[in-house]
Amino acid sequence: MSLLRQLLHRNVGVRTLNNSVCRNKVRFLTTAAPEVTRETRRKKLIRVDKKEKYPVVSSDECFALLYTFKRTLELRYIQLHPAPGSTVRKSDEVARGQLKDFGKYVAECLPKYVQTVQITAGDEIEILITPEGVLPVLQFLKDHHSAQFSNLIDIAGMDVPSRPYRFEIIYNLLSLRFNSRIRVKTYTDELTPVESCNDIYKAANWYEREIWDMYGVFFSNHPDLRRILTDYGFEGHPFRKDFPLSGYVEVRYDDEKKRVVLEPLELAQEFRRFELSAPWEQFPNFRNAHPAAETVETEEKGKK
Amino acid sequence: MASSQSVKRVVKEVKPILSLDREEARQRVLNLYKAWHRQLSYIVKQYDIPKNQEQCRQKLREQFTKYDEIKDIRLIDMLVIKGQMELKEVVNMWKQKGHIMTYFKDTVEPKPQDFLSKFLSGKD
Repeated sequence: MSLLRQLLHRNVGVRTLNNSVCRNKVRFLTTAAPEVTRETRRKKLIRVDKKEKYPVVSSDECFALLYTFKRTLELRYIQLHPAPGSTVRKSDEVARGQLKDFGKYVAECLPKYVQTVQITAGDEIEILITPEGVLPVLQFLKDHHSAQFSNLIDIAGMDVPSRPYRFEIIYNLLSLRFNSRIRVKTYTDELTPVESCNDIYKAANWYEREIWDMYGVFFSNHPDLRRILTDYGFEGHPFRKDFPLSGYVEVRYDDEKKRVVLEPLELAQEFRRFELSAPWEQFPNFRNAHPAAETVETEEKGKK
Repeated sequence: MASSQSVKRVVKEVKPILSLDREEARQRVLNLYKAWHRQLSYIVKQYDIPKNQEQCRQKLREQFTKYDEIKDIRLIDMLVIKGQMELKEVVNMWKQKGHIMTYFKDTVEPKPQDFLSKFLSGKD
């Protein structure tokens, strides 16, 4: 009877015939009764008592019926809530609309620098800009009265060697005033310098040093650009995709010289090709997840 | 039409790192060389390395002439920037004796060049 009790607990509305522990007959209330169709009647799953208004079934049949009934309820729940039990955060439509409007506004204000405005992961706004526009866009976002992104949370880098401009620089901003976040993305390559935003956000100092150290992107007008994470004598930029796993130099203690020595290292390394596709579904909970990026139609795009 | 497009592709406008022309880049390289050169006597004294100033001078020259073939102004600028950073690390004593001695590669065995030495070292 545990299944029955479970249903009772969920207020489905199943009641035994005499409202007591009846093991033979179960009566369904009309609100939750399974449909009495010609098919169910033909299969003799449900017998409709002439005197009673409600369908009556024996306890043997009852369990199968209840189980299918529970299943239909579950399916209905799934239809109402698109991602059941998944870890995908639901996004608020109103907030999304506001973010889109803000993105459009930024694109209208800075048409020279803003290339694309997109919504990622449901409710995160991203502004893709040209490298020349780093300072104006950040200054705008920081100082505009209805933006006030006064905190620089982080600057991240990304390396995609197949692109003509292989590095992506990603600024994560926070507006304490409006409890809102925004991401500004730009691009560069190994030899094209990006303007340092140290004058706008003091926090950028170390973040830009990190990018310089890990990717080798040069930030012009940075007050103190030097290594921050790697050791003195280290060669190369370790977050570049073409950086070998073992690095270029090796450090060891030399007993003859009585000191630590750095030596160039060459290890044969197979060309790495990652095969990421699999025959099975890996993230069923994310089946109904949001699209990776959803472009917001801006004024410029609309004209074209 | 097609030719103009190909011309466009070849002539790509790039943003300079520091120098606008070759002469400026050359001047930067020379300045860096001079700065290192002036620092050599201090390096020999402060880092207590088993090399004299003349050997250091040779090594400095070797480090600069290593990049003789590089003609790209932006590449030269990038190397100058990295050299400048290294000089700063040396001057401020952020580096240690081992790091300075790394330039001389006195523990690195030369790679086998001819057939017999390759055979003896067991490498193809």
